[in-house]
Amino acid sequence: MTEKITWEVALDIARRDLLDLWRSKMLLFFFILFPILLMSMFGYIYPPVPKSNTNTGNIGTAFPNLPVSLVQMDSGETANLIAAQFIQISQQQGLFTVTETASYQSARSQLVEGKLKGIIIIPQGFSDALTAGQPATVQVTVDETNPTTAAVVQSEISAVFSIIGSSMSTQTIHNMDPGDVVNPAFVIQPISVTQIPLISGVASSFQFLAPGFMALTVITGSLQGVATAISREKEQGTMDGLLVAPIPHRSIILGKVAAQTVRGLIQGFLILGLSMVLFGVQIYGSPIIMFIVMVLGTASFVGVGIIMTAVAPDQETAQMMTVLLQFPMMFISGILFPIDQLPGWMQYVGKAMPLYYAADALRKVIILNASLAAIMPDVLILIAYTFLTMTIAIPLFDKAMRR
Amino acid sequence: MSLQRQELGSELSRYAIETHDLTKNFGSFTAVDHVDLSVRRGEIYGFLGPNGAGKTTVIRMLCTLLSPTAGSASVDGYDVVRQANDVRKRIGLVSEKLIMYPRLSALENLMFFGRLYGIERNALRKKSEELLEMVKLTPFKDKLVGGFSSGMRQRINVIRAILHDPEILFLDEPTTALDPQSTRFVRDLVRQLKERGSTIVLTTHIMEEADELSDRVCIIDHGKVMAVDSPQGLKDKHNSNSLLEVFLELTGRELRDSANGRISMRAPMGRM
Repeated sequence: MTEKITWEVALDIARRDLLDLWRSKMLLFFFILFPILLMSMFGYIYPPVPKSNTNTGNIGTAFPNLPVSLVQMDSGETANLIAAQFIQISQQQGLFTVTETASYQSARSQLVEGKLKGIIIIPQGFSDALTAGQPATVQVTVDETNPTTAAVVQSEISAVFSIIGSSMSTQTIHNMDPGDVVNPAFVIQPISVTQIPLISGVASSFQFLAPGFMALTVITGSLQGVATAISREKEQGTMDGLLVAPIPHRSIILGKVAAQTVRGLIQGFLILGLSMVLFGVQIYGSPIIMFIVMVLGTASFVGVGIIMTAVAPDQETAQMMTVLLQFPMMFISGILFPIDQLPGWMQYVGKAMPLYYAADALRKVIILNASLAAIMPDVLILIAYTFLTMTIAIPLFDKAMRR
Repeated sequence: MSLQRQELGSELSRYAIETHDLTKNFGSFTAVDHVDLSVRRGEIYGFLGPNGAGKTTVIRMLCTLLSPTAGSASVDGYDVVRQANDVRKRIGLVSEKLIMYPRLSALENLMFFGRLYGIERNALRKKSEELLEMVKLTPFKDKLVGGFSSGMRQRINVIRAILHDPEILFLDEPTTALDPQSTRFVRDLVRQLKERGSTIVLTTHIMEEADELSDRVCIIDHGKVMAVDSPQGLKDKHNSNSLLEVFLELTGRELRDSANGRISMRAPMGRM
């Protein structure tokens, strides 16, 4: 026999559940803040892109003034002229901030450190080829650890040289006398752009996403894990059993952190393993350095989890607070979207998150085989974050537990 | 520099717990108001009061789980604020909530909590097994506590608190919601612990239990001590043969629905 649904009772239950939310003011605050924050983030992540216009030579960009370097290996007059035109167009249209570097190796190091987004090399023989009416090639290296930005840099560099090239073609045709012979390839495309890859082998897009996902899993897992574990123990009463024992409160925190770190590492390495087996991701760097970065990534954020636990009145609010922090962090720390795509102020917020540094360091280690010295700035920031958050978290935890 | 045990003259050996003007405020609400207590060594001290009277707040301060707003308290001669760790070594707590991890077995729980007191692993295992035998839980030692009945949980909860042989044991409503058999068992256990020389502070709403077990009872209300005496002494003083009648005479017969100062929120909208 099927019982009839009692709508009145169902409505009473729904009403009670909503009243519960309404009466927890802190939970309600974060509940309302979450969609507001999320939508304003997405609005900024996808800003309106100015449209390109080939007739006017206008190149639209969502990534203004990206730092690139010009390595000029040809000192011929034509090479100098074209380099000057490249700088002028880039700056006029707000595409790149161009610096000049003496050697490719030096520029490459800056690219690996993240100071540059691309390198433009004008090779030897460039002037001679163009002067002789033959097509010439410009070489480009982009920051392949960030595929979206890399694609944008590559296409914008090609677009600038296309503008310079079409102007050269127009002038060549204009200056031609009847009976002159010209290389058709030179007229169609006097300057072509080829890529010097930063890493060897064929890279899948997952190669770039996997390190970010690893960092994300480890950090958000530890943040939420610590907050939930402590709140749960507070609510179920077992925290009293720990607090009444003759042990320093720091041992409790350290124990919780250690457990969450192990959990985070297991998940992080599972992601890496699956990425390798299923998506052909390759590891070029040292697993030991990866391990160090992941441990530091976890340590850098557990303090925040502890602070949230100390502030939140119950487990549900603590969870809501962690979600509120970790969800936007996913979008503004360069995991799914390049940080250059964000407006300036949001880039600062993104770069204030330890996730940005953990993901950056992991990418450099996994993709570029970076040494510990090469990722030292990231490592130091993660250590500083750990000390700073723990310095706030430990006394706050002590105080909250004796409230 | 480590703090020395507070020598309180010849009184040290006599009192296990002493408080002077102990006070705790939560915002503008005074939960415990200048309370002076003296609990003698080896006695069962019944700590009684209506809901929201301040019993649990006093116990949590004595167990170093809450900081007093004013006044002082010492447990076994150690100050609860400045010598909190020395206090913790000497006390055991059976609180209202079960201090047990549901996804650990009975033995695993005891081993975990025992290790917090620095008890050596082998000695701890032996002690845990002895205590499990004492509370007749040996057949369940490897079962998850989450599946235990209320009576089983409370029995193991009590032995968890005495693993490290504390000199002073705080029992906060240890028989609430237990069946008569388990209640009887826990009460016998409390007597056994007293015979071993432990000092026991017992809070309960069951007057018959306080009468049966306590050497002395303290009745507290609105954060203040109303009376301290032996159960018989209190009954004699109030010409009654029931501790419950004495309790109601001292604390009033009206219901105490809003005595807790932590009730801060009015229902802001609608009604169910």
